[in-house]
Amino acid sequence: MSRGKSVRAVALLASASLAVLALTAATGSARTEQRSSAFKVAWIYVGPHNDHGWSQAHDQGRLYVQKQLGSKVQTTFKENVAVGPQLQQTVASLVRDGYKLIFGTSYGYFDTKLAAKYPQVLFEQATGTQTAKNLSEYFGAAEDTVYLSGMAAGAATKKGTLGYVVAYPIPEVIRHANAFALGAQLMHPGAKVKLVWTNSWFDPSKEKHAAESLFSSGADVLGQNVDSPATGEFAQSKHVPWVGYDSNAKKFAPTSWLTASVYHWGPYYVRRVKAAMNGTWKSGFYYGTIKDGFTGLAPYGPKVSKATKAAIAKKMQAIKTGKFYEFAGPLYDQKGKLRVPKGKRLNVQQLYAMNWLVRGVIGSPKG
Amino acid sequence: MVAVPAASLVFAFFASGLVLLATGHNALSSYRRLFDAAFVANGALGQTLVSATPLAFTGLAAAAAFRMRLFNIGGEGQLLVGAITAAAAGLYFGGSGGPSAFAIAAMVVAGCAGGAAWALIPGILRAFFRTNEIITSLMLNYVAAYLLTYLIFNTQSYWRQTTGFNAAVFPTSKDLPSSALWPGATIHLRGGILLPLGAGFAVLAAAVLWVLYSRTRFGFEAQVLGDSPRAARYAGMRTRRKILAVMAISGAIAGLGGASQDGDFRHTLDADPNGLQRQYYGYSGIVVAALARYNPFAVLLVAFLVGGLQNAGNTLQGADFPSGLVGVIQGIILFSALGGELLVRYRIRISRRPAAAPPAPEAA
Repeated sequence: MSRGKSVRAVALLASASLAVLALTAATGSARTEQRSSAFKVAWIYVGPHNDHGWSQAHDQGRLYVQKQLGSKVQTTFKENVAVGPQLQQTVASLVRDGYKLIFGTSYGYFDTKLAAKYPQVLFEQATGTQTAKNLSEYFGAAEDTVYLSGMAAGAATKKGTLGYVVAYPIPEVIRHANAFALGAQLMHPGAKVKLVWTNSWFDPSKEKHAAESLFSSGADVLGQNVDSPATGEFAQSKHVPWVGYDSNAKKFAPTSWLTASVYHWGPYYVRRVKAAMNGTWKSGFYYGTIKDGFTGLAPYGPKVSKATKAAIAKKMQAIKTGKFYEFAGPLYDQKGKLRVPKGKRLNVQQLYAMNWLVRGVIGSPKG
Repeated sequence: MVAVPAASLVFAFFASGLVLLATGHNALSSYRRLFDAAFVANGALGQTLVSATPLAFTGLAAAAAFRMRLFNIGGEGQLLVGAITAAAAGLYFGGSGGPSAFAIAAMVVAGCAGGAAWALIPGILRAFFRTNEIITSLMLNYVAAYLLTYLIFNTQSYWRQTTGFNAAVFPTSKDLPSSALWPGATIHLRGGILLPLGAGFAVLAAAVLWVLYSRTRFGFEAQVLGDSPRAARYAGMRTRRKILAVMAISGAIAGLGGASQDGDFRHTLDADPNGLQRQYYGYSGIVVAALARYNPFAVLLVAFLVGGLQNAGNTLQGADFPSGLVGVIQGIILFSALGGELLVRYRIRISRRPAAAPPAPEAA
């Protein structure tokens, strides 16, 4: 490039930026945020708000808040936000826009450092562990409902081999895979559950490939712990039963759909927003259960038999009353080693750190 | 000279205005919000620099190589590898206490070395085996991304946090010790603008590149090699050496960008596999370089503007404004700017071909 040219390029860019600055100056001081009395609440999602899975379930919770509290609240969401600088920028802009309570629905979003930086803002994080005066944690005991959905899968398998599409080799996903396998084994003793890791929460094309490989390696029922319904669409195309996760995604696989473990975030969100509005909000760690109405099962598909439904209903009742717990001993890992002796139960801390897979799961807990 | 960029900006606003209108948004207030969030609002400039700094590094990395027509698409991977090596240096040499020049210098050297080494793989393949560097450098981006995921998720590596309850719940990398955190200068204006140290390094890198390409024999030869490899060889220039050197320089700058991610912004290698990898700084850097026509100082300016656009995108999106629409508007603005570039570089001449002077036939 000649020097004349590069001088011209600089001139060009200088003029472009001048134009930008001129426009900025012209519009600068005018703030678009209306000063309203509504309490402002925001949600931050790791994927798209309409992913038909995890993020969508949270967004339905947001809409529920908006519907319940009406004009007293103003809600918004930020989607596809990556951990790191982008999250920092997003939180900074939300705080600037006057949001007083922010729900982050992925691990790694909020920590005590961030909470200390904005002491006037309340933060709540799903699936995390760090708490502070203005940082709360919440999640649901989905292992119970995943176990029940695993029962539906176990009843549907003929060959006794199931496929489970999983995101990351982390305790949250590992305990769900274990619960799914235990549920399936209850209905189909000796059932095997094969895992394929996608290393992403939301990646429809990878999820589809994972489903394909599970199917071609002999799985005749598919399940998942990822956010998109791609596995279901594949299952439908092969007429293979499918268990979803997070949201009711029956429309993607009308005849393959069995059920799914779902979260009812809405009522929790309403409680917390109300508390924040009237000043009674307190930091804590909430772990919602079936009994709380926090976790549940999505409506069944046509392939689930009456007998299976009855068995699941009975089990659900036993879990509710505390008579049954899927992670009670004796539990053996993949190598046959006794991990939970008879009479012992795993507690939430142990669930949050679970790094071993139960007998009958095929795959590595290291990904 | 002002006419074309001004016109392309006007065109961009007009075109995205149509999109906004069609989707039921007020175009003017959307633009106002965009500019406000990028450059005006309290703290906005500081947040814009957070996006602009890595783009400046990857933009400079692309510009350095593209000037020699060496198409290093691997800025993304070189940045990731630079972040990995710099984090190792920070963890190893850092200690408690305030920022230490030694730890920071070690991170800079390690980041540059990591990025350069990663870039030399396609460089060597190109220099000695005439492999297409576009493909090899691109493919290595995926390898680098998997390497990063592997280090945090699939192994108990040196980078991974292995103690504490949090580490058992969700794998993350170790936090850098406090002396390995890069200091920044704060301008007390508009809610405080933090100038990251990395931004200073980017300016320095741009100055070095400019001197290299316009004031040294090395830069001259590199450009001759780019324009006409055959002429360069006649003149006795060493092609292989130059390819290796330019790839190494390009990779080192991208790697420095990775070091800046560790030291300036993340204070750890990466807290989440959906963090650094999901920013795609390397690919955006190519756009920045093209818009800047590979001029190092122009790269800084463009990185700042594009960084503002990216930062504002986080503010603009919301329940009433899908993030996809933000992407469309950002795309239209960049596309128009690049389109305008075309008009600056080439002149459109509407000519009636005179019958009297047919083009002279080439020797048959």
